[in-house]
Amino acid sequence: MVLCLRLQKPSPVPLEVEGLTPESLSTKSLAEIERLTIFQGNREVALGEYFRASGDPGDAVVEWQGDLAGVHWIGAKMTTGEVRVVGNAGRHLGSEMRGGRIVVEGDAGDWVGGEMHGGLIHVHGRAGHLVGAAYRGSARGMSGGTIMINGDVGNEIGHTMRRGMLVVGGNTGDLVGFNMLAGSVLTFGETGIRHGAGMHRGTLGFFGPTAPPLLPTFRHACRYRPEILRIVFASLRSHGFPLPDDVEALEVDLYNGDMIEGGRGEMLIRAA
Amino acid sequence: MSDSLFKISGGYLYDPANGIDGQVVDLWIQDGKMVAPPTDPHVLPTRVVDASGMVVMPGGIDMHCHIAGPKVNMARKMRPEEKRKAEPVRRTATTHSGTMGSVPSTFATGYKYMGLGYTTAFDAAVPPLSARHAHEEFEDTPGIDKGFYVLMGNNHYVMKSIHDGEPERMKAFVAWLVGAAKGYATKLVNPGGVEVWKHHASGNAHSIDQMIDHFDVTPRQIIHSMARTVDELGLPHAVHIHCNNLGMPGNWETTLATMKALEGQRGHITHIQFHSYGGGEGDEATFCSRVQPLAEYVNTHPEITVDVGQVMFGETTSMTGDGPLGYYLANIYGTKWFSADTEMEAGCGIAPIKYRNKSLVHAWQWAIGLEWYLLVTDPWRVVMSTDHPNGGSFLAYPQIIRLLMDRTYRQDVLKTVNPVVREGSVLADLEREYTLSEIAIITRAGPARILGLQHKGHLGPGADADITIYAPHENKETMFELPRYVIKDGRIVVEDGEIRENMFGRTLHVEPAYDRGVEADIADWFEQFYSIRFRNYPVTDDYLHDAQRIDCTVNG
Repeated sequence: MVLCLRLQKPSPVPLEVEGLTPESLSTKSLAEIERLTIFQGNREVALGEYFRASGDPGDAVVEWQGDLAGVHWIGAKMTTGEVRVVGNAGRHLGSEMRGGRIVVEGDAGDWVGGEMHGGLIHVHGRAGHLVGAAYRGSARGMSGGTIMINGDVGNEIGHTMRRGMLVVGGNTGDLVGFNMLAGSVLTFGETGIRHGAGMHRGTLGFFGPTAPPLLPTFRHACRYRPEILRIVFASLRSHGFPLPDDVEALEVDLYNGDMIEGGRGEMLIRAA
Repeated sequence: MSDSLFKISGGYLYDPANGIDGQVVDLWIQDGKMVAPPTDPHVLPTRVVDASGMVVMPGGIDMHCHIAGPKVNMARKMRPEEKRKAEPVRRTATTHSGTMGSVPSTFATGYKYMGLGYTTAFDAAVPPLSARHAHEEFEDTPGIDKGFYVLMGNNHYVMKSIHDGEPERMKAFVAWLVGAAKGYATKLVNPGGVEVWKHHASGNAHSIDQMIDHFDVTPRQIIHSMARTVDELGLPHAVHIHCNNLGMPGNWETTLATMKALEGQRGHITHIQFHSYGGGEGDEATFCSRVQPLAEYVNTHPEITVDVGQVMFGETTSMTGDGPLGYYLANIYGTKWFSADTEMEAGCGIAPIKYRNKSLVHAWQWAIGLEWYLLVTDPWRVVMSTDHPNGGSFLAYPQIIRLLMDRTYRQDVLKTVNPVVREGSVLADLEREYTLSEIAIITRAGPARILGLQHKGHLGPGADADITIYAPHENKETMFELPRYVIKDGRIVVEDGEIRENMFGRTLHVEPAYDRGVEADIADWFEQFYSIRFRNYPVTDDYLHDAQRIDCTVNG
């Protein structure tokens, strides 16, 4: 069974629903859930003031319904269960989550999976900036789990990422994998500039139609067909991620960088 | 008597400055000051706090912390990750909201000091060029009286005056500068060394006899000249010295040389824990304590006072006017780093740090701090500090008190630290336990006397009515972390941990007299080298919200 939380009316300022995780809701009655407090701007209000709860929370599956572009922190810090968003989601979706699964049918805002530790996030539409990134000042960003964005994303995705997989089907902005420590970011659309700046280790894959401009601190190593990509792509397909048809047996150019940080990172770019 | 009499009755009073050691004494307050009990038995107070069975002390005084000014604010901006995770300070009907972490926001800093029973605190390092910033933050730091020390150990004009052999010009400049900044005392940070750092890659002053190039003076000359100048000006607080070579193995020799360089003049050696290390560079295993020879020197030289700079295990932020130290720490721990060059005056380094009890060096630092408290025989000359936030937060003071008052607890904690320190430190053999009176000295009466604050640190007639009342508890950490009442200027500001009144406290500053003939030369120097014009530099009286000028009448 599914717990449905339907947005009843728009809020003029953002709503923040941090802490309303599937596991925390699973032991509560619908009335108790509607009495839980959320933030409307800097004001605490009852969840029931904006959302109507229905269904059964016992199975730790929560379905958020309505246009939730102004609803932030959905699924933040969740450890198990499932969150479905029927519509758009706001910022900080799945922030610091450790397990479970989040599926968004529409678009999501900035900071999807910020500093996430585990679990899976799948956004069927677009997402904003700083997907899987470190919050400002933090030593590391995403440290585990998988984020899949079918559409376009903004800048600085995978900022200071430490581990895990981040996959983007559409276009990306600038500075993919900035200061990246480890992990993998794979993109299949057009991309911006200055990717991998300051990266220590990890893998950036640019498999779109146009090769991105490289920083001068990346050095060409070889051209080859990495077998690992077949396995990764098979895994992505099994999760329902729509890969382009022409990526089988992909030939790539391997670049090492960022040389100012030791050059142990790798960048895979679809061979022309 | 006016009808504003306020009486605190029946408490066990610990007022060591007036020789009261736990006797039951009634205290009388009028218009924010302590007054003698009325001689007319028919005079009744308008308000009485029944302190029967409770421990009464003057309000706490933190004489060395970092709570305001540009470096503190930069550290706040550098550590958003800490603030995000820390429990926020919520707004109430009485108080503002705030943020915590190792460098709390201004309002949170004031509230936490109030909650701890501290009523006065001094920021230990403000470049005079940034004095306005510090004063503005003071206006947002409630509940405590406060002041700051003016950085001078690498000031170009000071070094030039020393080099030119013009002590009178230096004296006039120091007086003008501390007065212009509306500061309270003079501060030397790594004298001369910060200038070397600014001009040479990884440069520093490694001994007090190293010549500081371009200025052609030595740290020894800076230390000696400033101590003499401060005594001649009669400043209430001695020169406040952060020695050269902070944190370096073997630096105890530099510290001892610094003490000797004072040649009998007053001097306060700050966060001395960080300056009491034996061992040699390149071999961590040789790192060890050299508190004993230094403490022996302090014990036999009454002109020298110290505060400890206790390290507590956990995460914090190092912030210092010692630019090369910030660089050193950031390189050791691989953390983010901030460095600043305050043109003609000072430097700054900031880096996060985490003290771990299993680390050999950190465990030594923790033990060395406690050795200092326990090996200085005269509690009037050793002051409790963590160099907040460098060694730990001021919120750790109750835990330090427990470590000093409870030998069993101290030994239990010692068992958890790095085994080399467990075996090598004299801590295991030190039986001394502080009494409540001694705690009152190192947290109130002593710092007040060292700072020359005659109206603070005691509860005799004429003193500020800054009072902390504790409910006795076997666990001294519990007792001291949550006072029953905190009274500031005769008003109850905290009751059972709840802030009852959002008052702001005064800025304490000095304005020593000087030969105004020097101003023409200073003005000319400003026009040549400074980014700000001479006439715009001084902080004017109307800039301070509520200030109190402390007289400069101490004879050297």
